[in-house]
Amino acid sequence: MASVDILQTLGNKYSAEILDATDEPQSAQELSDELGIPIATCYRRIDELTEHDLLELHDNILSDDRRRIKVYRRNVETVHIDFEESLTVSVEERSEVTNKLDEAWRTLSDR
Amino acid sequence: MIETTATGIDGLDDILNGGIVKNSTTLVSGNPGAGKSILCLQFLYNGVKEFGEKGIYLSFEEDAQDLEEAAVSLGFDEWGEYVENGDIKVYDKQELLRENDFSSSLDLLLDDIEDAGYDRLVLDSLAMFELFFENESEKRTYLLKFTDILSQNELTTLMTNEQGAVFPDTEIGLENYLTDGNIYLIQTPTESGVNRYVWVAKMRKQNIETDIFPMEIAEGGIRVHQNASAFSMMSEDESPI
Repeated sequence: MASVDILQTLGNKYSAEILDATDEPQSAQELSDELGIPIATCYRRIDELTEHDLLELHDNILSDDRRRIKVYRRNVETVHIDFEESLTVSVEERSEVTNKLDEAWRTLSDR
Repeated sequence: MIETTATGIDGLDDILNGGIVKNSTTLVSGNPGAGKSILCLQFLYNGVKEFGEKGIYLSFEEDAQDLEEAAVSLGFDEWGEYVENGDIKVYDKQELLRENDFSSSLDLLLDDIEDAGYDRLVLDSLAMFELFFENESEKRTYLLKFTDILSQNELTTLMTNEQGAVFPDTEIGLENYLTDGNIYLIQTPTESGVNRYVWVAKMRKQNIETDIFPMEIAEGGIRVHQNASAFSMMSEDESPI
C-alpha cells in the first residue's frame, strides 16, 4: 500500500515534527504554536499527511469559546524503508486495539 | 448503601457483605488450578439462574466447548442452554484470537458492552488481554480505560490473574492497585489432596471480612466455609500466610 510518495510527504519540512507531536490529538493551531510552523503551512502539511493516512482526523472537539475544532492524531508508529530486494516502504499503523479502546472511552465522557 | 452484585456462591457473599460492589472490577488471582475460572463460571451462571442477570464470558484460554464441558462437570447443567438463548455470551479463544485479530472481535464486544443488556462480565485472563499493549504505561492506561468502559456501562466484572498469594514474597502487580477488588484463591497441598482457601484482600467501598476462609470445589462449584478457625488447625509451616 505504502509507496515512495510517502517518503516525499515525510520529507517535506515540518511533516515529521507534526507526526512526532500527534501522539495525543492536537489541533492545527496547537501544532502551529508548539512547533513554530506558519499556520497556512501547518494546514497544508496536515492535509498531505492525512491524504497518505499517516495522520487522521481524530475528533471535532468543542473549544472554550464553543467553536468546533478539528484535532488530529498520527496513525503510524513506524515507517520502514527496505532497499534489499527492491525499494519497499512499509508503514506500521498504530494498534487498532488501542485506537478502539480510546474511541470507546472517549464517547463515555460525551454522554 | 452500596449496591452489590451477589455471586450466589455459598459463603462468599457473606464474606463480601452482600456481594461484589456493583459496576466494579475485581481481580481474581491464584495459581493454576486454584479455581479462578470456576469462580468466574459460577458468577455468570448464578447471575442468570438466580438473579436473571445476563453475562459475557471472554476467554483467551479456552474454547466454548471446553467451557461448557467444564460447566457441566461442575453441575451447571443449563450452561449450554443459557449460551444458546443468549443469556450468556461467550467470546472464546478461537473467536478472540482469530487470525490474531483481536481488534475485530473488540468491535463486537464493545457493541455488546454498550448494548446495556448485560450485567456481568468475565475476562479470563488479564495477562492475555495485556499482550495487546506494548509497554507498562500502555497496559496501565488501557486497563484503566477498559475498566472505566465496563463500569460506565454498568457491568460488574471479574478478571482472572495468574498470580499466587505466596507471602511475603508476592510481587503485587500493578493490576492489583488498578482494580476495585482483589480476591485470592489459595491452594496448599496436603497428604490427602489439597486444602483450598479464599481471601478477599480488598473491595473498595465495601466493608468485608478480610480473614482467609476455607473453601471447597465440588459438584455445584465453589463453596466457602465461614469457619475461619479451620486455619488454626494447620501447622505453622503449612500456613500460606
